[in-house]
Parts: sequence; C-alpha cells; structure tokens
Amino acid sequence: MTPIEILATVFVVVGTFFGFVATVGIVRLPGLYARLHAASKSDTLGSVLSLAGIALVLGVTTESLKLVFLLVFLFVTSPTAAHAIARAAKEEGIEPIGEDARLGDEEGEP
Amino acid sequence: MTSVLLAASGGPEVTVSETFSLILLAAAAAFTLFAVVLLYRVVQGPTTQDRIVAINVVGTNTVIVIALVSVALGEYGYLDVALVYGLLNFVMSIAVSKITVEWGGVL
Amino acid sequence: MAAEGEQDVLVPVGESETLRRSVTYAVERAHESATETGTLVTVHFVLPARWRTVQADPADVEAATSLLDRVLAWAREDIDELTAEDAPQTVVFESATVGTNEYVFSPGDFADVIAGYAATNGVRRIVVDPSFRPGGSAPILRSFETELADRGFDVLEAPVTRRTRRSLPFTDIGLPEFFVVFSASFLFYLALGGWHVTDPYELLTGVATAGVVTVTLASVALKGDVPNLRVVGYTVGRLAAYTPILLWEIAKANVSLAYVVLHPRLPIDPRMVEFDAAVWGDLPVTTLANSITLTPGTVTVDVSRRHFLVHALIPDAETDLLGGKLERLVRFVFYGRESARIASPRERLDDQQEGDS
Repeated sequence: MTPIEILATVFVVVGTFFGFVATVGIVRLPGLYARLHAASKSDTLGSVLSLAGIALVLGVTTESLKLVFLLVFLFVTSPTAAHAIARAAKEEGIEPIGEDARLGDEEGEP
Repeated sequence: MTSVLLAASGGPEVTVSETFSLILLAAAAAFTLFAVVLLYRVVQGPTTQDRIVAINVVGTNTVIVIALVSVALGEYGYLDVALVYGLLNFVMSIAVSKITVEWGGVL
Repeated sequence: MAAEGEQDVLVPVGESETLRRSVTYAVERAHESATETGTLVTVHFVLPARWRTVQADPADVEAATSLLDRVLAWAREDIDELTAEDAPQTVVFESATVGTNEYVFSPGDFADVIAGYAATNGVRRIVVDPSFRPGGSAPILRSFETELADRGFDVLEAPVTRRTRRSLPFTDIGLPEFFVVFSASFLFYLALGGWHVTDPYELLTGVATAGVVTVTLASVALKGDVPNLRVVGYTVGRLAAYTPILLWEIAKANVSLAYVVLHPRLPIDPRMVEFDAAVWGDLPVTTLANSITLTPGTVTVDVSRRHFLVHALIPDAETDLLGGKLERLVRFVFYGRESARIASPRERLDDQQEGDS
C-alpha cells in the first residue's frame, strides 16, 4: 500500500459509508420527499468520494479523466434527477408527510 | 480476451497493490449489497416516484461498482461502460419522471 | 363600465423582452376599436403577483409597481403618437396587481387569476405577450395562452418577433453555434478516446460523431446566443471559488443527514418552504436549485422562474435557507462581487433590471 492508496482507501471507505447512509435513509425515512434527501445528498457524496478515491490512484491518465467526467456528471445530475422526481411528485399531487395541517392552511382556498 | 480489451482501451501502466484491490472489491460488494437492500423500496413503493428514487440510486451504485471493479481488476475498458451507464441512469430518471406526469403513471 | 366592456382589452404584464412591443400592439388594437365604434375603450394592464399580501417581500412589490408604472408610461406615449393632440380621448388605461391572495404556480393558476380579474371588469379580449411565460414554459404543462383560451376569452397574441438569426440548412442553428457545439463535442470525443490526435482513425470518427451530435442536438445544447467568452471565463473563475464553499456545505449537509438517518428515533421535521430568490436566468437558477438540494436538509421541489418550493427535512434547514447565504454566493458567481451583497430593495430592483436586459 502506497500513501496514495491509503488516502484513496479513506475516500472509498467514507464514500461507502455515505452509500450506506443513503440506503438506510431511502428505506427508513417516511415519505417520498424525505427519501429524496437521502437519495440526492448522501448518494451523491458517496459516489463522488468513491470515484475521487480511485481517480487519485490512477494519477493523470485518460482513465482518471474519465472518472473525473463521471464524477462531475454525477455531481450535476443527481440533484437534477432528484429535483425532476420531486417536481413530478408535486405535479401528481403527492403531499409531503407531516405538517399537513400547516401546509393546508397556507394553500388557501382555490 | 483480457489483453485485447486492455489494448483497445489503452490502459495506463498503473497497477494497484493486492490489498488495495481487495479493499476496492469489498467496497464494490458493499455497494452491491446496498443495491439489493434498495430493491425493498423499489418493490414496496408506495408511489411511482419512490420507485424511481430507489432505482436511480441503484443505478448510481451500479456505476460505482463498475468503476471500482474496473480499477481493482485493472480492466480499464469498463470505465467507458460506467460512463455510459451514468448517462443512461440520468436520462432514465428524467424520462420516467416526465412520463409519469404526462401519462398519469406507468408503473 | 361592464356595458362598454365589449371592446375592452386586458394585457397580462410581466417582465419579458418583448413587453414594450406588446404594449404598443395592445394600445393600437384598443385605439382601432375605439375609433370604429366610437366608444371609450379601457386597456387593463394586469400584473399577476408572485407574492402574497401576508408575506410580501418589499422588493417584489416595488419591482411590480415600477413595472406597471413603466407600462403605463409606454402606453401613454403610444396613444399620444396615435392620436392628434386635441382629439377626444379614445382609450383609457388601468393597471392592477392580482393574485396576491393565493398561491399561483402553473400557467393554469395564472390564467385563473387573470380570468378572475377579467370577469370582475367585464373584459372579453386578452392580448398576450408571447415572451411572457407566467408559471414557466415547461413542456409538461399547457401554455398560458391555451389556458386562457379555454376559459372562453378572445386571446390575441401580440405579433412581436424575437431577433431572428441566420441558420444553417436542415437545422435551426447559426454558424457560430454550430462551431461551438462541434468543437466541444469533438474535443470531448478525443479526450475520452485517450487524446490520440495524430491517429487519422480517431480524427475521422471524431469529426463524424461530432457532426452528427451537432446537427441533431445543437439547438438543445445551446440556448440563445453564443456565450461571450470573457463573461464565461469570469463566471468559471468565480465558480471555482464557489466550489470549495459548496463542498464544505455538502459535507456539513451529509453529516447532519447521516446523524438524522442513523438516529434510532429519526429526529426529522419535514416541511415545505417557499421563497422568491433574487437570481435570474436559467443557469443561475439551476445552480441555486442544485446547491439547495445538496446543502443541509433541503431539497428543491419546484421552481417557476424565481419562485422556489423547497422541502426542508431538519428544523434548522428553514432558517439557513431563508438566511440567503447560498443565494448570495450564487449571485456572486454569476453577476460578480457587487451583486453578492444585495441589501436594500432598491439595489435589488436595479440588479433585476440589469439581469433582464
């Protein structure tokens, strides 16, 4: 194990931890919107950290360039996808769990 | 076959140590396990969007697994697969979100 | 007034690049029918509000008032040009703000508030500015015009055209756009292939691929004009400065989320938060929306123009969000240091006009 590999291991392990958080969050949290938090944040960080870890090991090569592309792409698209899903849910009229009364007050009568 | 693949993708001279390779494979196994656990949400729902969220994360996990395995085994050609998979995953989420709104749910 | 309402015209007003010409068109139409029938015609300029009375942001209210004032001034100019100096008055103007008592999101909601005003004032004709897209122009929604026509109004679209550009055969893109998209995709192809710039096979397949991509997708890839390279450079530079701050926020977000998710009792407090952000344009709004999604406890649910609907998961998230730190940072990235601190409503308004032009 070279020092770079140890650093990369840290990245990958932390990334895996956040992948775990994302999974637990999606399974455990109540309601679609809450699950989106887990999907958009933890999963993004988990994947970005893991990819950054292995990109470190590869140094400056075409392969690490591909990983960086993938990383930036995931970084930009994950929240966008989460947003698209949230918006679709809102269009379909899925109500957030909790705070229903509060939201009902704010909506007013159409 | 392996040598052909490597030649086609022009892999770098980087080789990773055996320990590191094992760590990467373990991480890949963990991500695979997460994907399997996420299938619970895919099956359970309750709404179409819940399923899309879970499938989207499963897709992201797949991309990472491919990338991790690619480096662990030195099969750098797999990275292209990961790249395409990432693109498809994004397009899938957007498309299904749109379709559920326009056609009132397909799943 | 309702009796003469037959000829009255209603113009929904909002910031758009063709608003000036739409006003002229509406005034001309009103003047025409006034001279034909010899009655007094009222032109109503109606601004659908994006705020509600109980939680109005003074900046928004002021912006709306000044926009309506501008529109009225333009309308008077136009009518002065059309009529002789001592001619009897043919057209009168009224302006109003509607929708301050309800949430308006989709084009349908906007059509509803406009229709409500029209019904109260007995107006049958509506002149629509084609660039004015209240509630967004998402293809998944029906357009504002269709919604209005469905409510039984005569909808006239003002014949204003945006600037036209020369375009290449088979595509609706111009040469500079073609060039930008082509070189971007060609370079991307070469980079992914390992940068074998001397290999004729790579070059040939690269040109073919980039060509196909450009012809089919350039109109999607580039919206509007070719970006000014200097502005893009500055923006990218500031974006680089913004990234570490964003990364730090993301790290914090994930630690707090991990705590919440792994806590045995799930200490969450989910709620929806709405606010109007002071950023303009597709890219800044997208950046802000994505930043909100990535930072502590918040996910962007819906954005229509500047109006954000955000889901907050943890109790502190709402306070942080309305503190506006991210919003300031995004403004810094896209409009430079001066607009990073927007303090008074006055400054906010000035920046808004800049952003629109």
